[in-house]
Amino acid sequence: MASLVIENVKKRYGQTEILKGIDISIEAGEFLILVGPSGCGKSTLMNSIAGLEDVSEGRILIGDQDVTFSSPKDRDIAMVFQSYALYPNMTVAENISFGLEMRKVPKDEREAEVQRVADMLQIGHLLKRKPAQLSGGQRQRVAMGRALARRPKMYLFDEPLSNLDAKLRVEMRTEIKKLHQKLGTTIVYVTHDQIEAMTLADRIAVMKDGEVQQLGTPQEIYDNPTNLFVAGFMGSPAMNFIPAKVVEHSGSYALELQATQPTLVPFPSADSLKAYAGKEILLGLRPEMITEPQPHKEGAEFVVKADIDVEVIEPMGADTMVLTRISDAEVNCRCNPAYPAKANETIAMMFDTSKAVAFDKDTGQRIDN
Amino acid sequence: MSNPAKRQTTALDKALRFGLYAMLIAMAAVYLAPFIVMLLTSLKDVEEIRTGTLLSLPGSIDFSAWSKAWSGACTGSQCEGMAPYFFNSFKIVIPAVAISTLLGAINGYVISHWKFRGSDFFFAALLVGCFIPFQVILLPMARTLGWLGIANTTAGLVMVHVVYGVAFTTLFFRNFYQAIPVELVKAARLDGAGFFTIFYRIILPVSTPIIVVTVIWQFTQIWNDFLFGVAFSGFDTQPVTVALNNLVNTSFGGKEYNVDMAAAIIAALPTLLVYVLAGKYFVRGLTAGAVKG
Repeated sequence: MASLVIENVKKRYGQTEILKGIDISIEAGEFLILVGPSGCGKSTLMNSIAGLEDVSEGRILIGDQDVTFSSPKDRDIAMVFQSYALYPNMTVAENISFGLEMRKVPKDEREAEVQRVADMLQIGHLLKRKPAQLSGGQRQRVAMGRALARRPKMYLFDEPLSNLDAKLRVEMRTEIKKLHQKLGTTIVYVTHDQIEAMTLADRIAVMKDGEVQQLGTPQEIYDNPTNLFVAGFMGSPAMNFIPAKVVEHSGSYALELQATQPTLVPFPSADSLKAYAGKEILLGLRPEMITEPQPHKEGAEFVVKADIDVEVIEPMGADTMVLTRISDAEVNCRCNPAYPAKANETIAMMFDTSKAVAFDKDTGQRIDN
Repeated sequence: MSNPAKRQTTALDKALRFGLYAMLIAMAAVYLAPFIVMLLTSLKDVEEIRTGTLLSLPGSIDFSAWSKAWSGACTGSQCEGMAPYFFNSFKIVIPAVAISTLLGAINGYVISHWKFRGSDFFFAALLVGCFIPFQVILLPMARTLGWLGIANTTAGLVMVHVVYGVAFTTLFFRNFYQAIPVELVKAARLDGAGFFTIFYRIILPVSTPIIVVTVIWQFTQIWNDFLFGVAFSGFDTQPVTVALNNLVNTSFGGKEYNVDMAAAIIAALPTLLVYVLAGKYFVRGLTAGAVKG
């Protein structure tokens, strides 16, 4: 178990800068997720942590040790790859014990360790098989077993679940979380799946174009995104961005939307909108904050009722997504399935802006904090 | 097929099929004819050859031409048959194939998994080696061998074949290793394995198909080589191809076609054998890189 500090890490290939000064630091035992779209540099950053790629500038510390220039084998980390990267010519047992063998662990200790890992991951019956004889989920377990056997200071997971089918992915996700709770080791985990990021992480680093957009706990990232990119990336369906005009209203500021009728909605930190008085901003409102009218919320401070024109209905079982158009932007509302919304009809909705956020229309940055 | 509306085989179909097979058999015969003529001729005596036609069957099976070709025929002033040169060829081929295959494997491993600055250029430059005609390097190579003090020796010939073969073997192995995921090497590095440990423990064990391809290719190339053999071999290090040429060109009195033919077949046997034994791996290995297995 070790903490991880990444200080101003840059990586250049010729003229192109892949990592533009990354600063991340996590405590020992934390589960850090690097998330972002393809090409955002998250895999490059992970390879740099592993020592598989050199960094052009900056420092990487594992524990108290500066490992910026150490070779991969001296960093005492283990990695689980997307393609599993099991050694095809070796049995499962040999795969798991290879790293121990390379570190000159005596044979009887290696066998005991293989047994321990196999029991933990319930792959004891597979030990004599070759990787080609395993299913995707089994290979995934063996790949994790190989990482676990060495008891390294830190684990790196590079999109480990993306080759599994949907059902298995959810199962393995839970298992990884259980494993982390049991072992309490430091984990760095790369994914482009924001649900994986939300469910697993102690801390999430949202990356784009070689920069960390925001580093925070899942809830911080979800509730308090620093910019439009983070807000739009995390959450499914994505946060709604509604163009709204800042207007003066009884001594403070409110936002004017165009639903079926022009509607005025309050905003929690209204004073922060002062500089934008009379201008348009983007109101960020999660789908679950636009619902059917709920009597217990009626009259609350940041709750407004308004009619909307329903465009499409998407029943999802637990909820029904209602698509509408507000101020000419497509907006998702999350409603109770019992609420009788119908396509091409007008119906009342309740807007709860207590957790709403506001973004500058041009820069995409948060206004209200 | 349990298709109820199965098409009836018509007379035309049968005729077409007959024509197809006739054509195939005819082509096979054309390709096989030289070998059949060689085999038949080698089993006849000189008298029969003179009176009969090329394809007439021998009156009695007579292996004396074979034993003469093997151990008694004259190649120039020596009259020891093909045997010593046959073994000379093995002394050249076995080390040359082994060394060039191993070097090709290591080169391919480096070029595909340990890229360094300029490794792509290095590979491209190496590829040029595949296109240099043998004749071009004869003189410089002769100078080099002389300078190294291994002119006219088996070691010299082995070196020539290794140098010439490495371009091809590297190409083979590089293409094969390109299909091995880089993660495999990364995982092994994190596990603590070094350059040669990864090569020996991870890469080589999955290389069997491409090793078979390379060995067949190199064996055939080097065994069948005549030009390097005639240019760089000494009196007692001549390979079998050179000896065959000398045998055929040496005649005291009448031409012994039966002995010539037997000697030619003897010279061709090892490559034939390699193909028969490992031919199916050859095809499998050539396509192995294309389809991910």
